[in-house]
Parts: sequence; C-alpha cells; structure tokens
Amino acid sequence: MRRFWLRLFRRRRLHQDLEAELAFHRDMAGEHSNPIPLGNTSVIKEQALDLWRFNFIENIGRDLAYAGRAMRRSPGFVVSALLSLGLGIGVNTAVFSLGVAFLLSEPSVTDAGSLVSIRMGGSSHVKPQAIEFLRKSGVFRDVAGENEETFINWNDGVETHRIFSVCTTKNYFTALGVPMAYGRGWTTDDPDPVVVLRYRFWRKHYNGDPSIVGRAINLDGRAYTVVGILPEAHRTLMGFGFSPDVYLPRYIDDTVLAIYARLQPGMTLGEARAALATVAQRLDASFPEHWKYARNCVVAPIAGFARLQQERELMTIGFFFAMLLVVVGLVLLIACVNVASLLLARASARRQEIAIRLSLGASRGRLLQQLLAESLLLSVVGAGFGFVLAQAVASLLASIQLPLPLPIRLQIEPDWRVAGYAAFLAVASTVASGLLPAWQSLKESIAPQLHRERRPRLRQVLVAAQITICVIVLTTGFLFLRNLLRSTAISPGFDVVRTLRAEVYLPPAKYQSSAPKLAYAEDALRSLAAIPGIESAAAARIIPFTDATRFGMDLTFADNGEMRPALFHWNAVSPDYFRVMDIPVLAGRSFSSEDRGEAKVVIVNRTFVEQYLGHRQPVGTAFQWAEDKTFYRIVGEVAGTKNLSIGEEDRPQLYQPLAQIRNDRPRLQFVLRSATPPATQLAAVRQVLRQVEPGAGIEVSTLYQSIGLAFLPSQVGALLLGSVGLLGLLLAVIGLYGVMSYSVARRTREIGVRVAIGAGRWEISRMVLIEASRLVIGGGAAGLFLAVFVTRPLATFFVAGLSPSDPASFAAVLLVLAAGGLLAALDPVRRALRIDPVRALRYE
Amino acid sequence: MAKSASPALLQGTLDLLILHALQRGEMHGYAIAQTIHVLSDEVLSVEEGSLYPALYRLELDGAISAHWGVSENNRKAKYYAITKRGRKLVSEQQETWSRLSLAVHRVLAR
Repeated sequence: MRRFWLRLFRRRRLHQDLEAELAFHRDMAGEHSNPIPLGNTSVIKEQALDLWRFNFIENIGRDLAYAGRAMRRSPGFVVSALLSLGLGIGVNTAVFSLGVAFLLSEPSVTDAGSLVSIRMGGSSHVKPQAIEFLRKSGVFRDVAGENEETFINWNDGVETHRIFSVCTTKNYFTALGVPMAYGRGWTTDDPDPVVVLRYRFWRKHYNGDPSIVGRAINLDGRAYTVVGILPEAHRTLMGFGFSPDVYLPRYIDDTVLAIYARLQPGMTLGEARAALATVAQRLDASFPEHWKYARNCVVAPIAGFARLQQERELMTIGFFFAMLLVVVGLVLLIACVNVASLLLARASARRQEIAIRLSLGASRGRLLQQLLAESLLLSVVGAGFGFVLAQAVASLLASIQLPLPLPIRLQIEPDWRVAGYAAFLAVASTVASGLLPAWQSLKESIAPQLHRERRPRLRQVLVAAQITICVIVLTTGFLFLRNLLRSTAISPGFDVVRTLRAEVYLPPAKYQSSAPKLAYAEDALRSLAAIPGIESAAAARIIPFTDATRFGMDLTFADNGEMRPALFHWNAVSPDYFRVMDIPVLAGRSFSSEDRGEAKVVIVNRTFVEQYLGHRQPVGTAFQWAEDKTFYRIVGEVAGTKNLSIGEEDRPQLYQPLAQIRNDRPRLQFVLRSATPPATQLAAVRQVLRQVEPGAGIEVSTLYQSIGLAFLPSQVGALLLGSVGLLGLLLAVIGLYGVMSYSVARRTREIGVRVAIGAGRWEISRMVLIEASRLVIGGGAAGLFLAVFVTRPLATFFVAGLSPSDPASFAAVLLVLAAGGLLAALDPVRRALRIDPVRALRYE
Repeated sequence: MAKSASPALLQGTLDLLILHALQRGEMHGYAIAQTIHVLSDEVLSVEEGSLYPALYRLELDGAISAHWGVSENNRKAKYYAITKRGRKLVSEQQETWSRLSLAVHRVLAR
C-alpha cells in the first residue's frame, strides 16, 4: 500500500523521466544516423505508465469528466435515467432503513453488548421479587426490570390524559447507563415519586423547557418530581420504535417485569445461561408458591441479528422486510434495464467514435472502462438522489401514526449500514445497467457488419426480461391486494360497524380492590346506556385485536375427573357484552347480573366445546382450571371471534363475568352499540365517562378505528406492493414502447414497400402488434412460470384459504400486462400506419 | 533486394535479451537496443515501443535497477543495471530458452 502511494506521488516526476528518456533515445538514434523510430510516443508512454498503475485512477477522473460533458448534451436522457435509478435506489434504501430501524436498532444504553434479556420459566415477564432475587444473587453485575405496557393518568392542570408509561425497578438507570438530555436518571436514593420524561412528551407539553427538571407534575393525582429528560434519539430497550411518554420507578403490586441483566466482565452467553439455570432453581426453592422459573431459561442479546434469531415472531417480520427488499430490488432491476436500453440506443449513435478510438489503438478494456464511467456517474448521482429521497420517504413512513395499541415511533437516522447499502446499490446498478451496453457497443465496433441484426435482438431480450420481472412484482402486488380484499371480507366474529370502544384508566389510589372498580363499571354502564342513540353498553377486560390474554391450563372435569391440557383466549365481560358485540349465543344463556358471588360460571365458544369437551353437553359441564380449586360451570356457548389477527384460525375462548374476577388492573374497557353512526357518539361518550370519574384518563374511538391493526399487514402489503408493482409495470411499458418505436423506425422502408404493394392498414397494424405481443407473451410466460415459485413463501402473510398461486391474481396480472402491452404498442402502430410509401422509398 | 523484415520477437524473449545485454554492465535504453541489434548480427531491432515498457516492467519486478547518469556525449540519461534477482532470472530463462529453441529446431529439421 505504501508503495502505491509513493508511486502516486512520484507520478509527475516519472512522467518527465519517461519523456526525457524517449527524447534521449531519439537523439541518440539521430546522431548515430540510425532510423528514427516511428513508434507512437503516446502509446508507449501510456503502456509504460500503465505499469505504474496510477493511469487507472487518472483515467477514471478523465472518464468521469468526459461522461459528465457527454451527459450535459443530452439532458432528456439524463433526467429519465436519473429518475429511474433515483426512484429505484431511493425506494430500496427507504425499505432497508426502515427494516434496520425496526429490527436492528440498538437501544440507548451503555455497552449494549454486555446487556442481555432474560426469560425464566418460558415467561418474558416475572414478578419483582424474582428480579430482586436475581440481582442479589450476584451472578450478574446488575439486574433491572421494566414493565413497558402500562398507562398512567397525567393531569395537565385542565384535563386528565391517559399516557403511556414504563414502570421500572429503582436501579434501572444506574444499571443500564441511559444517556440523558437534561437532568439525570433516578437512583435508589431518590424518593419514590420521581419521573423521567421522554423527549417528545416534554417537547409537546412543556415546550422543551429544561427548567421543568426539579419541578413536579401531576400523575395519577400525585405530584411526581421530574428528575431527567431523555434525549430525542433515545431508543427503548424493547426496540421496534416503541416510544412511551414517561418512565416511573414504581409498579403496582402483582405486576410483572421484563428482566434485563448486565453480564459480568468477560462473561459469555453460555456461562450466563448456566449461571441463570442454577439461580433459577434456588429461586424456585425460595418462592414455592410462584410460577416455576427454572424451566426454559433463556439468555438473549438485546440487539442485532442474535436477538432476531431468538424470537420467532421477529423472524417473520424480518422475513417480511426481506421480501419487500427483494420486490423493490426487482423494481430497481427493471429501472436498470431501462437505463441499459437507453444506453444501448446512445451507444449505437457513438459507434463511429468508438470505432475510431479502437483503430487509434485504444484497448478494449480501456474503452469499456470509459463507457462504464458513464453509467457509474449515473448510478452515483442516482444513488445520492435516492439516498436523500429515501430519508424523506422513510421519515414520512415512520411519522405515520399507525393504529397500534402501543406508541410506536421509529428513529430514522442515516447510518453507515444504510449509506453502505445505497453505495452497494449504486455499484450494482452501474454493472446492471452499464456492462451489457458497453460490451455490446465494443463488439459492434469491432465487427461492424455483424451488429446490424444483433442489436435490436439484444434490446428485445432486455425488454422481455423486464416484462418477466414486472410480472413477478405485479403478481406479488396482486396477491397482497387479494389478501386485503379477502381479509376485509372475513368477519372478525363481532360487529365493527355500529360499535364504539372506550378505554378508561382509573386513578389507582382510589380504585385499589376489585369492588370499587366493579361499582364504577356498573355506574358508568348505566350512564352510557342512557345516552340517546346508544342501544346497549358493556364492559370488558379485553377487546379483541387490541389486546389478548392466552392461558395454557389443565382442565379437570367434575364428572369423571378427566384432565385435559387446554390453551385458550381469556376475557372477563359484563352481561351485555355478547349483545353489544353481536356475538350469537348458540346454547344456554349469556351472563346475567346474578352471576356474582361464589357460584362461578363461564361461557365458552364453539371451538372450545369441540376441542376440549369431548362428548359432553356444554351447558352444565363443570371443570376446574384456575389455581383455585373451585369448579366453574358452563352456562352458555357462543360463536367464536378472532382474537389477534383477521387471518387466524378459530381458537378456543373462555369468558368469565367481570363481577367474578379479581380485577387488579386499573384499566377497563367499554364497548357500546349505537343506533346512529358510531363516530357521531364519540364526544357524548367521552363527556359521560368524564362525569362518572373526572380523575380517569379516557380514550374513545370507534371500534373499527381501534382494531385497524388487524388489517394493517395486508393493508401495508397491498398498498406498498401494489404501488411498487405499478411502478414496475410503468417502467416495463416505457421499455416496451422504446423498443417498438425503434423497431418501427428501423423498418420504415420495409413497411413502405409493403404498403406500396398493397398491404392494408390491418396488415401493417398486425405486423407491429405481433412483434409486440411476441415480447409480452415471451416475457409474460417466463414471468408467470417464475412467479409461481417465487410467491410460494408468501403464504405466511396471507389469510387462511388464499393460495400464493391464486388463479384470480394471475389472471389479473395477465390482463394488466396485456393492457400495458397494448398501450405501449399503440403509438408505434399509429406511426407505422402513417408511413407514406412514396417518401419512405425516396430515401433509397 | 528488399531488406527482410526483422523477425518479431517471441513473447518474453525481449526481457531475456535485455537482461542478457545488461550483464555486460549498466547502460542506457538506447545502448541496450543497440547492443541487442549488434549482437544479433543486425537481425533483431528493438522498437522503443516495446523496449521502454519492458524496461519499466523489469524495474517494477526488481530485475533491474535504474538511476540517472551522464552519457558518453555528456547528456543526462537513465542507466539501467541488472540486479541479483535479474541475474537469477537470466540463468533460469536462458536454460528454458535453450531447451525451447532446440526443440523447435528439432521439429523443423524433420
């Protein structure tokens, strides 16, 4: 390497040396009256200097300047090429940076590499005592816990809002080392009511005033002192852009916390796992009444690929991003082919220039380099344009407030990975768009007679390839569109058209046990039902799609003592729930206001009956299932609802009366059935709830709005891939149009002759159309064939019953393709028809 | 009688000829060309177009070294000298060459 730089700096001297040496040689030859050599001095110099390698670099500079000059002369070409490449690279980079931000971002902690996330007993969240036990065991340098999904009521002086909080152990900030914008994180010495604000919350509600640090804010009716404000770029441990509003060092009793541990210096993951296993056993011995911790202990890194590999669901999301990358990558390929086509057309115009340069002794490699410089320049400028575009697109996408139950806000920042990817794309598109045309134009110039028939064929092959890729991309888009239609058509099992949902977060101090919460719920239900236009109202712990609680329990039947393992979705609801949600009661009855006290009752869905009850009549069957040893009697059987996603299979469900559960959470939800469009009732509902409990944080929306998440994957997929597919189609149609126009221009004379000897308009049109349809059919057939295989893995994302080789989607693709092909051929046909035989032949 | 064209040099033989010439002592490019011309009974004439690239290549390979000096007619000239590595190359290549030329000779003799 050192030698390389030395050579580079000695360049000028060497140049002079060589010149002097050659001059000396000639003089000597002259003096000795030998023939003065007739060699080409420039070639000798170039060859000799080539040995010293810096010519290569010098040439690139010269080539780029030359390419720049050439391009300034054809702005139309440059704009269309840059637009194709810029859009292609931009979309690719945007998808990539979203994927990186979503899946691979590193949380804002000190030394993330030594921080691990721990699961015990197969559970990601454990009781605070277990965390304290782990911390005191001294196996890890420190252990902290957080509960991400909690809410708190924040009063801004006028109104109460329900905001998102993260509750943590008191050593949270000291254990993790989270950087702060202002103030500090709390320590174990701080008194309890302290709070750390997230940047956005602080910015929005306190106008970014740093003097808030040290002052108190009102949370859940108590004064909490602000000790710190997190920086804008703070990334949570949970990742995925999860952005709560505040952090609090407290948790309600009985809550469970996710465990994060700081490894001892030099400790490997394997050692950590072994150590955790032994501690977990001691933990089980100390807390025999707890869930068993020692089974399924997992120690996982908190960021990067290693984390992805740990969690199955994350792999699915990763796979989705990978698929998106492939699809947008294909679109970039189509764009590259378009640019290649344009370059090919230009190259034929430069044939003479290249031939001259070859005959003057330029090497083919040297010319290839020069021709590639042009596409390099295009790609680099295109990539720069695309990189800027990508940042704009990605932050636009990230700023869209998704209908999610959690606050998600991705921090999109261009980093080395994204820049590297853009650079890689630039190089790849240089090769993809430039190599073939450059090579072709060299070949043509060497054998001028051969190329005449070959060049159009190459362009035709390119266009056919383009159509092939386009079909694959379009098919993916159509499949997602079909999926969207299908999933909208699937009933979630309850009414989303005439229903509203209200979410209430009660002030915990006032509502500690179950009784006041139940009293509140009944109070609220009475007032809600009294609103004009509201037909019925019900309360529930869980509203499908916004939340879910799944239990894996053993059922022990009262009749014969049979024990069966069961896995079901659990919910606790008030009597009118099934009526409000329009869930049919198939047998028995729904809950009534009498269902309280010790005679425990449940309602199950049909799938539960089919999977777990065997031959038993559902109504009247009793079983034990919870940790208490009481028997629960089934009083009714209802139809099932979907729980988490619209495409899922029917799962067993079990409902309990809200009056019979120990309700330890301050969060309660209401569903209401409205005679008028639900959106018109939002304000009235909010007002009534405010009157019932002014201290509660309240969120009201239509049920359709709040379950939007369920439709999200297919909506995002359909929108994204549909538009990407259309972009691909547009590019391919442009490519086809170019080739057809060129072909008609080339055959002007032939068409003239045909017209002169009596060919009619129909024959001429047919001739052009056949040529176009050959390309479309060839490319389309190859595309369909490939698409059948390529789309196979997409089944993961589709609702049950939609096959990736869905005939309707394929038919639609063919139709669109035929229409696109016709559109592309229309103008060339028109031009062919306008050819005047007399003028066409006069050129001869 | 038209002067017969000087035979084209086989690929690689030029290097050998240059190195061989330089074994007689250091000399500048023109002298190398002349030496080869004379030694070959004026059959071979080395074009500067192949000579200087070859010299630069050999220098880069470390087979010869170069320095500026003053020529016999008091002009600045670049002198080349063979290195240890160059001598080793010559002996190796000379052997290869003898075998090759003998073989070619045999083929043509039959």
